[in-house]
Amino acid sequence: MSTEHQTETPMVEIRNVHKRFGDLEVLKGINLTVNRGKIISIIGPSGSGKSTLLRSVNQLEVIDQGEILLDGIQVNRPDKKGLAFERHINHIRQNMGMVFQHFNLFPHLSTIDNVTLAPRKLKGMDKNVARELGMELLDRVGLAEKAEVFPNWLSGGQKQRVAIARALAMQPKVMLFDEATSALDPELVEEVNRVMRGLAEEHMTMLIVTHEMGFARDVSDWAMFMDGGVVVEEGTPDKLFSDPDQERTRNFLSKHLGDHH
Amino acid sequence: MDFNLMVEVTPLLIKAAWVTIDISARGLLFGFFVACGLVFLQSFRFAPIRWFARGYISVVRGTPYFVQLLLVFYGGPSIGLKLDPFTCGVVVGAFNIGAYMSEAIRGSIESVDKGQAEAARSLGFGKVHTMVSVVLPQAAALMIRSVGVLAIVLVKNSSLVSIISVVELTYQAQRLIGSTYKPLEIFTLSALMYIVIVYAVMGIIELAYRRATRYTTQ
Amino acid sequence: MEFDFGPVITYFPTLLKGLGVGFLVALVVAFMSIVGGLLVAVISIYINKVVSWPLRFFIWLFMTTPLLLQLYFLYFGLGEWILIPAILVGILGLGFHYMAYNADIFIATIKSVSDGQYEASRSLGFGHGATIFYIIVPQAFIRAIPQLGNNMILMVKDTSVLSAIGVAELVYASQYAISVTFRPFEFFIVIATLYYLINIFMELGQAWLERQTAYRR
Repeated sequence: MSTEHQTETPMVEIRNVHKRFGDLEVLKGINLTVNRGKIISIIGPSGSGKSTLLRSVNQLEVIDQGEILLDGIQVNRPDKKGLAFERHINHIRQNMGMVFQHFNLFPHLSTIDNVTLAPRKLKGMDKNVARELGMELLDRVGLAEKAEVFPNWLSGGQKQRVAIARALAMQPKVMLFDEATSALDPELVEEVNRVMRGLAEEHMTMLIVTHEMGFARDVSDWAMFMDGGVVVEEGTPDKLFSDPDQERTRNFLSKHLGDHH
Repeated sequence: MDFNLMVEVTPLLIKAAWVTIDISARGLLFGFFVACGLVFLQSFRFAPIRWFARGYISVVRGTPYFVQLLLVFYGGPSIGLKLDPFTCGVVVGAFNIGAYMSEAIRGSIESVDKGQAEAARSLGFGKVHTMVSVVLPQAAALMIRSVGVLAIVLVKNSSLVSIISVVELTYQAQRLIGSTYKPLEIFTLSALMYIVIVYAVMGIIELAYRRATRYTTQ
Repeated sequence: MEFDFGPVITYFPTLLKGLGVGFLVALVVAFMSIVGGLLVAVISIYINKVVSWPLRFFIWLFMTTPLLLQLYFLYFGLGEWILIPAILVGILGLGFHYMAYNADIFIATIKSVSDGQYEASRSLGFGHGATIFYIIVPQAFIRAIPQLGNNMILMVKDTSVLSAIGVAELVYASQYAISVTFRPFEFFIVIATLYYLINIFMELGQAWLERQTAYRR
C-alpha cells in the first residue's frame, strides 16, 4: 500500500551484517539495499542463512554486527537496552509486515480478528474502522466470506492469505516473506503466489525468501543467491537464473530448477 | 447394610462434605494466586529471585503435604504463626498446590508454539501485550485441564486436615465409624460424597475446557 | 523465638527407627503395588468381563477417594473381624491405593503396546498367553517406568499419612518426643528435611532408571 513510485530511494538497507549462533557464524557480512517499490528474492540451500537474514531485518534475530535501516531509520540499536529497545523495536516492527512459513495465525481469534487485532490494539483504531479495513484486506486476498471463521477451518493456502492480510493491516512500508509457500501442498502454492503478484503490481516493497525459483524469477527485480552465510552472487533474475557467473550458483540451480514446476 | 443408620448419618456427612468443598475451593483460589506469583518470580532477570522460586517449588514438591500441614499447625506458633485449623488447612493447601500449579501453568505457557509470539512481535506487539493477547488465551485450554487435575488432588488432600481436627468429610467419617462400628456403611456414604465432588469438579473442568477450545475442534 | 535442635539430636535414634519402619513399609508396598498393579491390569484387559468389571471398579474407587479415608475403612473394617497390627493395615491400605494407580498406568501402556505388537507376535506363532507374557508385558512394563517412578515417589511421601492409624513411621515416632520436648517446629523441620533428601535420591534414581531403559522404549 505504499504507493510512492520513486524507485531510487532505499527502503531497506542491510550493511555488513554478522550473526552468530554460539560458535557458528550464520551471516558473514551481508550487504543489500532494497529500493522503494522493489522486490528482492533471496534463494539458497537450507542453512544458507537466508531466513536468518530476513528475521534479522525485523530483529526477531538480534544481529551481532552491522547495521539495518528501514526508510533511513536504524532498526538494530545496540546502544538501546531493555525497555528502551523494546519501545523502539515495537514501533519499527509496526512498519514491517512479516509472513511466516507456518502462517502463525492466532488460532483463538476469528479470521477478521486476526487481521484487525494489531491495528485495534497498537494503533487504537476504532473497532468499526478496523473491521472495514479488515474486510477490505480479506476481500483483496479473496477470503471475505471467511471473516468469521477460525483459522483451524482454513486450508494452508487460505491461512497464508489471511496471514498476508494480517501483515498488510498495519500498512507496512515493506513486506518480508519467509518461505511463505514452503509448507503448502503444491496445489495451494499458486493462490498465495497470486496474492503476492498482486502486491507486486501495487509496488509494495518486498523481500522474499523462497524455494520457488520460477516465482522468484517472474516477480523479482533483483535476485540474490546465498550459501554458507555469504552472498555468492546477485543480479537481475534473468542473469542469475539463466546465466549465473558462479559454479555454486549453477550447481544449486541445476538441482532446484523445475523442482516445483 | 444398615440402611436406617445410613439415612440417619447422611445429614451429618453432607454438612461435613460442605466443609471439604469450602476448604478445597478456597485452597484452589489462593493456590492459583500463589502459583501466578511463582510463575511471575521465575520470569525475573535477577537470578536469586528465580532461584528462590525454584527452591520453594522443589521443597514443597519434595516433602509430604501431611508433614507441611503438621509443621505449620504445630510448629507455626514457635515462629509466631498461630492459625486456627480451618485457616491452616486453606493456607497450607494453597501454598502446597500453588507450587504444583505454577509448574502446570508454566508448562502450558511453554507449550504454545513459539511462532505465535513471533507473529505478534513481528506486528509490533510488546512482550506483555503478546503474552496477554496471544499466548495466554491459547495456554488457557491446557491450563484448565492441568489445574483441574490439581483441583481433584486438592479435594483428596483436604482429607488430611482431619488430623488437625477440622470437621470435614474424612474427620466426620472416622468419628462415625468409631462410634457406630459400621465401617462399610459409613465408608460407602462418605466415598460416594467424595466421588460426587470429584465428578462435579471434572464436569466443570470439561465444560470450561470445551469453551476454551471451541475454535480448535471442528 | 529461638530454636533448639538439641532435643531432636537426643531423640534422633527414635527418628531413625521410624525412618526404618517407613522404609520397610515403602519397600513392601512398592513390590505389592507394582506386581499387583500389573496383575490387575493384565487380568482386567485379557480375562473375561465378569472378572474385569470388579477390578476396574476397584481401580476407579481407589483413585477417586482419599487415601486416609481408605485407611480408616480398612483399619476399622478389618479390626472388626481380626486382630491385625497397624503396620499390616498400613501396608495393605497404601498397597491397594497405589496398586490401583499403577494398574491404571499398566492398562494404558499394555493397550499402547498391544496395537501392532499383538498381531506381529501371533503371526510369528506365539499363542495368546505367550504373546501377553513374552511380548506385551515386558514392553508395557518398560514403557510404564517413568510414571511408576512418579507414583512411587508420591507413595513414599504418603507413608507419613500412616501415622494417622498408628504405624510407627517417622511422623508417628516423633510424636512422643514432641509431646515431652515441646519442640514441634524443630522436629517437623528435621522430618521435612529427611523426606526432602529421600525425595532427591529417589528422583535421581528415577532419572537413572529412565536413562537405562530409554533405548528400549
